[in-house]
Amino acid sequence: MSTVFGWTYDKHNKNHRMFRKMVIAVTSLVCFMFAWWDISVLANSAAIPTPIDTWNALVNLINEGDTITGRSVWDYIGSSMKTYLSGFGLALLVAIPLGLVIGYFAVVEEFATPVIEILRPIAPIAWAPIFILAIDYTIGPILVVFIGIFFPLLTNVVFGVKEIDTKLIDAARTLGASSSQVFTKVMIPSAVPYIMNGVKIGLGIGWMCIVAAELYAPQLGGIGFYLNEQATAGFWPAAFAAIAIIAVLGLLTTGLAEVIHKKLVNRVGMTSA
Amino acid sequence: MPEDNNNRIEEGSVFLEIDHLRKVYITDESQTVAIEDLTLDIKKGELISIVGPSGCGKTTILRMIAGLLEPTSGTITIGGKECSEPGSDRGMVFQDFALFPWRTVRKNVEFGMEVAGVPKEERRERAEKYIELVGLKDFADSRVHELSGGMKQRVGIARAFVNHPDVILMDEPFGALDAQTRNLMQAQLVRILEKTEQTIIFITHSVEEAVFLSDRVVILTKRPATIKEVIDIPWPRPRDRAGPEFVALRKRILEELEKENVMNG
Repeated sequence: MSTVFGWTYDKHNKNHRMFRKMVIAVTSLVCFMFAWWDISVLANSAAIPTPIDTWNALVNLINEGDTITGRSVWDYIGSSMKTYLSGFGLALLVAIPLGLVIGYFAVVEEFATPVIEILRPIAPIAWAPIFILAIDYTIGPILVVFIGIFFPLLTNVVFGVKEIDTKLIDAARTLGASSSQVFTKVMIPSAVPYIMNGVKIGLGIGWMCIVAAELYAPQLGGIGFYLNEQATAGFWPAAFAAIAIIAVLGLLTTGLAEVIHKKLVNRVGMTSA
Repeated sequence: MPEDNNNRIEEGSVFLEIDHLRKVYITDESQTVAIEDLTLDIKKGELISIVGPSGCGKTTILRMIAGLLEPTSGTITIGGKECSEPGSDRGMVFQDFALFPWRTVRKNVEFGMEVAGVPKEERRERAEKYIELVGLKDFADSRVHELSGGMKQRVGIARAFVNHPDVILMDEPFGALDAQTRNLMQAQLVRILEKTEQTIIFITHSVEEAVFLSDRVVILTKRPATIKEVIDIPWPRPRDRAGPEFVALRKRILEELEKENVMNG
């Protein structure tokens, strides 16, 4: 126990712990705001608006929409979300089954590894101009998001399958399970926490990809488009407002994934190391 | 249990035969003979335990019977059928329980019946009976991580027994438990044995456990392991751990094992 400003902190009290966390988090954000403000004032440059200017631009954006194109902010958010969720869904559909198969069958892994190792280090953004110009401005950004989420997710699923306690497979086999039953009733459920880990990492990377991809697809709209448009026009506070929206959306999605992950882990009482 | 499905084999007759079993572990650099020329007949309905110096290959034998490991030469047959693949005719209880953490107690016990396609109602009914038999009625819907070690192993036992396999292979099942829980589990296993005709091969480090539970105790030599001696224990169960006969036999087996360890060292 320690006493701060006459308040006694008890680390075994859940409410105290929560309160402590919140105080630290709020302090951190306040420090961030002041630092931002300072830099803005010191730099005295239009390209670094103050938090207040940014806030005003954000309120304006929400109320008036994009003053250049006349489209509403919800239109942009909707467009970005659609691309994001499509890319994410596609990544789930491809990476999870593929990861399970690669992790389970050594020959598939040996076959797939060279290709994966060549493609994996390539920044997802590098694909943006190719996908968008060569395929389509709606499908292109989806594919960029897909690539961004796909590799971390795949790696985690493969890892999850390999990390499985082999005793559980032995147990299932001595209980009469066939190979396919071992796969569906043991491999898949025990890989779930690792899959969720990959999902969490992938969701964050997905946001990085989408904004960049939208820069190459002005026809599509979206937050990334708005950011580029406003910055090009020299409306810096509006550009910063766009960044703030991206930050909030990113927080919401990863936060949601975190909650689902925790629930799942508590439910089965397992952790992914 | 009345519905024991192996009643075609008469109790007391030989039905599991281990014949000239040999296992060599081969790596790129070396060959290690783990099991050398091991021959043993196991009778229907008996509990036979295997003791031996640490690392002598007891688990290797059990895994070969389970079909999880292939013998280098020799055969293991149940009722004339070779045990080359794992199957539901040989259940196994693991030292570290090996329960499925994403399943409840009930669902763990039902696993074998589930993969065998037993209808839901029957599955539930049979699982219920065995969960009760091991004293976990109030925990049927608990998750595995909520249970103590002793409770976990009782789930492991119920999960194996519920399928009425020809033989249950127990690999140091109480080895991970504290001494007190261990004694309780042994006593409970004796009670369960009164109600079933289950054949069991039991591996243990504890000579006391072997003498307390077994109809026969097989003493193995140090590696490469083969049979040093087989001791019949015709006494009724439950047995008195402090009785003079018990103590004397325990001492004798310990001495035999010590000789192996000395020769080893």
